[in-house]
Amino acid sequence: MVGNVNLEPDELPDDEEPVSGAASEEDVVEDDGPSDDELVLKAQQGDIQAFDLLVERYHSRIYSLTYNMTSNREDAEDLTQEIFVKAFEALPRFKGKSSFYTWLYRIGVNKTINYRKKRNRKRALSLDSFDQDIKLDDDYHDLTAKGSPLRSISLSELQIKLNEALQGLSEKHRTVVVMHDMQGIPHDEIAKVVGASVGTVRSRLFYARRQMQNELSEFMK
Amino acid sequence: MMNEKVSNETTAEEEADVLLQKLLHLKQYEVPEVARMTRNKQNIMRQVRQAQMEKRKPLLDLLELNIPWFFAEPKYGIAALFVAFVGLQYVGMNAKNSATSTGIYTSTANVASFEQDVPVNIVTNRYPSLPSNYPLFGEPQGDQSVIPAAFEYK
Repeated sequence: MVGNVNLEPDELPDDEEPVSGAASEEDVVEDDGPSDDELVLKAQQGDIQAFDLLVERYHSRIYSLTYNMTSNREDAEDLTQEIFVKAFEALPRFKGKSSFYTWLYRIGVNKTINYRKKRNRKRALSLDSFDQDIKLDDDYHDLTAKGSPLRSISLSELQIKLNEALQGLSEKHRTVVVMHDMQGIPHDEIAKVVGASVGTVRSRLFYARRQMQNELSEFMK
Repeated sequence: MMNEKVSNETTAEEEADVLLQKLLHLKQYEVPEVARMTRNKQNIMRQVRQAQMEKRKPLLDLLELNIPWFFAEPKYGIAALFVAFVGLQYVGMNAKNSATSTGIYTSTANVASFEQDVPVNIVTNRYPSLPSNYPLFGEPQGDQSVIPAAFEYK
């Protein structure tokens, strides 16, 4: 079930609840403890501790969304804060038609897009540093193997190029790339969040990838 | 020949896709500082608590906040409620009376107005009319004094 297909994500009301079908695996509790539904209900009744648990559960994912959308960690922190506070304020209007996760993501995407529009200019990159575990990653080994174009550049240069290519995308294209290729969210969930059809999401993803390949063409040989 | 070309293009596209996926996968190793994230969560919860405090309080809470003496000493509170009740009853009764006696909302039967002019029989002559030649005094007495004449009302 798709929300309002004709509206772009930035035109959708921040906290409008996307209608959801069966709950996806994401909706279900991942760690031990009360389910999202239970926590949401308690938070709606004024239980701050319950909302604290929800923040703990989704903070890193929302931060990751805002960070990859902005490539600026200060902006990402501000946005993450705004998103959770907005979610708390809008919680009484959350009726459970969609999962809390999808609803929170919708607020996140809309807030981030509006935030960027308000600023109306590209911010300088302010990047989180790479975890040292990257050197143990198989993909990293492949990319920096002998003969690869990436072998000649440093990790920080690669990071900057990658983030610049990402920021070169339009907001709606970057949204689908971040959600699908970086966060592994399925097409139908993205469709609910951005209020578009699954076909539109696939199409945006296709064009976004092509554009990124062009931007990163020096590494694509 | 044509098919082969298309097939080669597809393979090149797929390879480019895979390469891009690998590059994007590396972004997952960009990790924020733990301390910054902890501080961020704390800031969120601080703002949430603030928002909770600013939410509209229930009527009872508002009353307690504005008239704490009312709740601090219940006997005064109950007394004040009683006085308020009596006062309201009084005001209500007055309002009811005024509504039934005057005003635009009262029925015509209850409308107060000047009474209609009723012909009144004014007694203009309080005394019996006497004949014009009726003697008021009697004949002078021997010492020339006169006394009012007695008369009979017919």
